[in-house]
Parts: sequence; C-alpha cells; structure tokens
Amino acid sequence: MQQVNNQPKNQISRKGLTVWRLYGSIETLVIALVAAGAGAMTYFFDWPNWLYALYAGIIVLFGFLLIYLFPKIRWERWRYEVREQEIELQHGLFIVRRTLVPMVRVQHVDTAQGPILRKYNLAEISISTAATVHTIPALITEEADELRARISVLARVAEDDV
Amino acid sequence: MSEMRYKLHPLSAFLNFIKALKELIVPFIVIFGVNLFRDGGVSGMFNQGWQGMIPFLMGIVVVLFMLVAGIIKWKRFVYWFEDGELRIEYGLFVKKKRYIPFDRIQSLNYTEGIFHRLFGLVKVKVETAGSGKVGESEAVLTAINREDADRIASKMEEAKRGFHHHALNDAEAETAPVEIPEKQEARVFYRMTLKELMILATTSSGIGVVLSAVAVFLSQFSDLIPYEALYEEVMQFLRFGYLIAALVIFVVLAIAWVISVFLTIFANYQFTIQADEDNIYITRGLLEKKKISVPFKRVQGIKISQNPLREWFGYATVTVESAGGSLGDKEEKIRLFPLAKKSVMLPVLSELFPETEWEPKLTGAPKRSVRFFYRLDFFWMAPFIAAMSYFFYPYGLVSLLLVPVVMLLGIWQHRTVGYALTGRQLTMQFRGFSKHSFYLMKRRVQAIDITQSYFQRRKQLASIEATIKSGMMGASARINHMDTGDAERIMAWYEPSSRPLPEDEKSQPEYFSG
Repeated sequence: MQQVNNQPKNQISRKGLTVWRLYGSIETLVIALVAAGAGAMTYFFDWPNWLYALYAGIIVLFGFLLIYLFPKIRWERWRYEVREQEIELQHGLFIVRRTLVPMVRVQHVDTAQGPILRKYNLAEISISTAATVHTIPALITEEADELRARISVLARVAEDDV
Repeated sequence: MSEMRYKLHPLSAFLNFIKALKELIVPFIVIFGVNLFRDGGVSGMFNQGWQGMIPFLMGIVVVLFMLVAGIIKWKRFVYWFEDGELRIEYGLFVKKKRYIPFDRIQSLNYTEGIFHRLFGLVKVKVETAGSGKVGESEAVLTAINREDADRIASKMEEAKRGFHHHALNDAEAETAPVEIPEKQEARVFYRMTLKELMILATTSSGIGVVLSAVAVFLSQFSDLIPYEALYEEVMQFLRFGYLIAALVIFVVLAIAWVISVFLTIFANYQFTIQADEDNIYITRGLLEKKKISVPFKRVQGIKISQNPLREWFGYATVTVESAGGSLGDKEEKIRLFPLAKKSVMLPVLSELFPETEWEPKLTGAPKRSVRFFYRLDFFWMAPFIAAMSYFFYPYGLVSLLLVPVVMLLGIWQHRTVGYALTGRQLTMQFRGFSKHSFYLMKRRVQAIDITQSYFQRRKQLASIEATIKSGMMGASARINHMDTGDAERIMAWYEPSSRPLPEDEKSQPEYFSG
C-alpha cells in the first residue's frame, strides 16, 4: 500500500473526472435547492439574518468538496491493472481499497454505459466472480470493449493452480 | 433402460394442501381480522344473513380449491429415470417438464416431517450447482417412500460412477465394465452427545435472560442507594415501575428462552455427521428429521465461532460455507458442529479435511494498532455520554463506565486478531464479541481486498478482507488494523503471478516474477 511503485499502473480516463465533476454539480444543485428553500423560510418567518450566510457557506463548502476536491482525489486514486493472471484495482476517497482478483476466478465481464457516460464516450466495466463484482467506472468505450475482450480471453486461458 | 414412471405418495396431496394453506394464513388473518372490527365482530357476520357470510364462504371456496389443487398436483406429478437424467413432469394447469442430468445433481437433501414419519416417507430436495431461481431448489419430491428415495440415490450414484468410468477407463480397466464400483459406505464421524445438546440448547439465547435477571437483582439493590432523598415520591414510583418492567421482561425472556431451548433440542436431536469420499451427511431432528448432504467439492471455507461464554468453557460452533444451493435457503451456511468441545471437534475436522491445518501459528496485529480498535467508538460514545450526563445528572455519569468497557473490548479484539499462511491455506481470526476463525483455501478465495484509511496509512496499518462464495452470494472474513507488511504478504501469497515456484514453501513477498 505504502509503496507507490507497486500500485496498479493504469489510470481511468481523464474524462471520468469531468463526469464526476458533473455528478458533483448535480448533487450541489440539489443541496443549493434545499438551501434556497431554507432561505425562503428564513425570509418569510423572519429568522435571523446570519442564517443566509450559513446557507451560502454550506453551498460553497459542498460545491468545493463535491465538485472539486472529492472527484480529484478519487480520480487520482483510481488505478487498475489487468495482468495475465490477475486483475488489480485500487480506489477510494477516505479509505483506499486495493483489490486483487485472480483471472481464474473471473466468471464474466460486462460493460455498461449510461446516458451521461455515453455523451462522453465512456463506459464502465464490471468484472464478476462467483461472489463479488468489481467495477472500473470510466474508461473510453473502445478501451473498455477491448479490455472486456482481453479479460474474457485471459479468464478462459487462466489455469487453476490446485 | 427402464422407463417406469413413478408417482409420489398420496400424502403429498395433503402436504401440498397444507403448504398452500400456510401461505394463505396471512391474507386470511387480514380478511377476518378486518371483520372483527366491524360492528358486531365475528358473530355479527353470522347475524347479518348470507351477505355477512360472504367472506366466510369465500374462505371455504378458497380452501376447497386448495384441496383440489393439491390433489391434482399430486396426480400430475410423475418422475422417471431416462438417459442418465432425472425427469420430472408436473404442473397444475400448465404441464411442465424438467430434466436434470444426474451428474449435475450436487446433493439430495432429505426431510422427514411428522406426517412423513407416520407413513415412513421422506421429502427429497434435489440440488444442483446453480439453482437459478430465488428460494427454489431444482426439484422437490414432496413425499416418497424410502425405497424410492434410495432408488433415486442409487440411480444417481450409478450414473455418476458410470460417467467416472468412462473418464477413468485407464485406471479402472481391470474391473468389469458392467459392474459399477461399489460406493464406500458412509462412516459416522461424530454424534452429538446429550450433554452437548443440552448445553447448546441452554446457552444459545441465554444472554438476554441473564441480563434481565441482573436487572431484577439490581432493582432490589436500589434500596441501598439513598436517592429517595431527592424526589421521594417520583423515585418510589420509578423504582416500582422499574421492578415491574424488569420482572415482565424477565418473564417474557424466560418463556422465550424455554421455547428456544425446546426448538433447539427438536432441531438438533441426534445430530450426526457421516461422510464418504464425496459427501458429508448431516442428520438431525426429533419431530422433523433432516438429512442434508454437502459435497466436499462444494465446501468453500470453514468457520469456527465461539462466543465468550463458550470460549471460556472450550466449546465452539463450526459452520461450513458451501457454494451453490438456492438463494434465500438457510442451508447455505451449514452447521457442521452446532456445539462441541474444541478438543472433540478438531480430530474429526482434521479427518474430514486432511489438507487443512486447524491450529496454525497466528501472526497478530502490531502493538501500535491497539488504539484503532476503540478509537472510532469515541465518536458515538462522546456525544452519548455527554447527553446522558447532562440530562440525567448525576446518574447519567454512570455512562462513563462505557469507556473502559468499550476500550477493554477493543483491546480484546486486538489480542484476538491474527492470520496465518500455511501452504495454500489462509487462516483469519477475529472478534466482534464472539471469536471467529476462518479457514480458507487459496483456490476458494474469490478476491482479496486491502483497505487503508489515512490514519492507518500514517501508522503503516491496513485491513484485509477475503471473500469466498457462500450459497449464491459471498461471505467475507476481515481482519482489521494489521501491519502493512502482513497485508502485502497475504496479497503476495494470493497473487497468482508472484507465487514462488516451490509449492510447499510458505509464500514470501520477496518473490516477484510478474
């Protein structure tokens, strides 16, 4: 974990960061709406004026966290590497999670693409074992398709060690 | 090949009916329950002429329908053996056929309910590797004769052996091809003693009872504490109320406990483990007798659990995590030993699973990680204690006692946690309140995760989680706050491409080939 040289090689697409910022913006917008509602209440019920500053502060804070900071950290953390015999993933915001999935355990690989991801020509790829599902969230569509094909070939070739 | 078609025992018509009735109980209670609150209650229904009887009549019609449906279901159900398959034809309105190849059958599980036992019948559940639908095994034969059940088992055995025969004809060329090698008789490995059964029954849900007994006891002691001086009358009332509440809770719990004691005895009576080369068979039950088989091939991992009380006396429970089966089926986690002394179970376990090492030397968590085991708890404790102390001053201060208790539990968890890598086996031991030891084989582990928070990273600590397949889903074992070196060691052990060549040696992280 500590050693930087040992972490998985590949990063996810830079556009993934853009998409996450977009998600963050939507979340911030929702928070802003709630804050606006609270602001309206404050106005009609004559609550103290400093509350406006509080609402504004909340919006700015969450905007900063959800649009700028969190996506940035998450994107920089996200690493994956598909090797001949295993898949290694690393991600996490506060808690960094590193996952190792041997190729032999892979049962199937899916790619999926929602409307936002499609707009950015991105796709997410899910790797399923008998008990777990692991998702790489934002890859260029061609790259995702290529990776899916590669994993499914490798998974078929990989031999059980016992 | 004989294509004799077999029917179920007529009792299954009745059992179908009972089962359908059971499913209807809730809607019935709702319908009639609503009527209770209408004017006149239930008797009002009968006073209002035939209109009031409508729900009642509807009920009768439904019940009659169920009865007829049960009979038709039984009439329509036939099974036979053909081309190495178990073939079933059934269906109430739509005729359905299901063909199950024998070599895909993972296990036959037998249940004998009270009605079954009156007629010497048995219910057979046929399980395959991946029964698709939720809560549904591949096929259920509601009630058949014991001979018929044996016939299915032997047909299945025959088909499997025959199949093997083709595969291994080199090895077994000498034996006459017509003669199917006789399967080795299942051997009894363990029988639960009456003492173990009693201990299991009495300790399985005992904590609540003990707690409430303590509460009653304490309420008596409140005489010694001179707090009446404060709000005499209020306290008088509170104390009285407290006593009553404690007594009521105690009585309710005691009744629940007695019931659970009986249920546990009924369920685990004559618990027996048998095994042959392919399967473990577990038989248990007093009124309803169950026999389930667990193919060794399907065993994904083994867990030994001990709650503190049982740990103190050296007792433990062993659970087998098994793959396949149907989702929502409680049999996924099969209790191999409901309760036995560790000294009794370990020889049996090492005979059943010879490649597993049961008492490997564990590597514990480093000293510096102790604080991590209780540090997070302060996040809920601090506000809780603050609130208690503020609102219930001065008695709320008692909540401060939580701090040492939680810390001690944390220290205990820290002392318990550990892992061992022995050959292809990963052993993980950890404690919530009860102690759990997971024994996992590398080939059964689906994925390993290492997680590390910012604070853990600063102290060179990491948590390790191994996931295996259990039933249709996964089960994971997790050890928290271990040294990063240990996490790396487990990762390297697990990583296929970094495995050292000599198979028997312990995996070491220094080897990196990929």
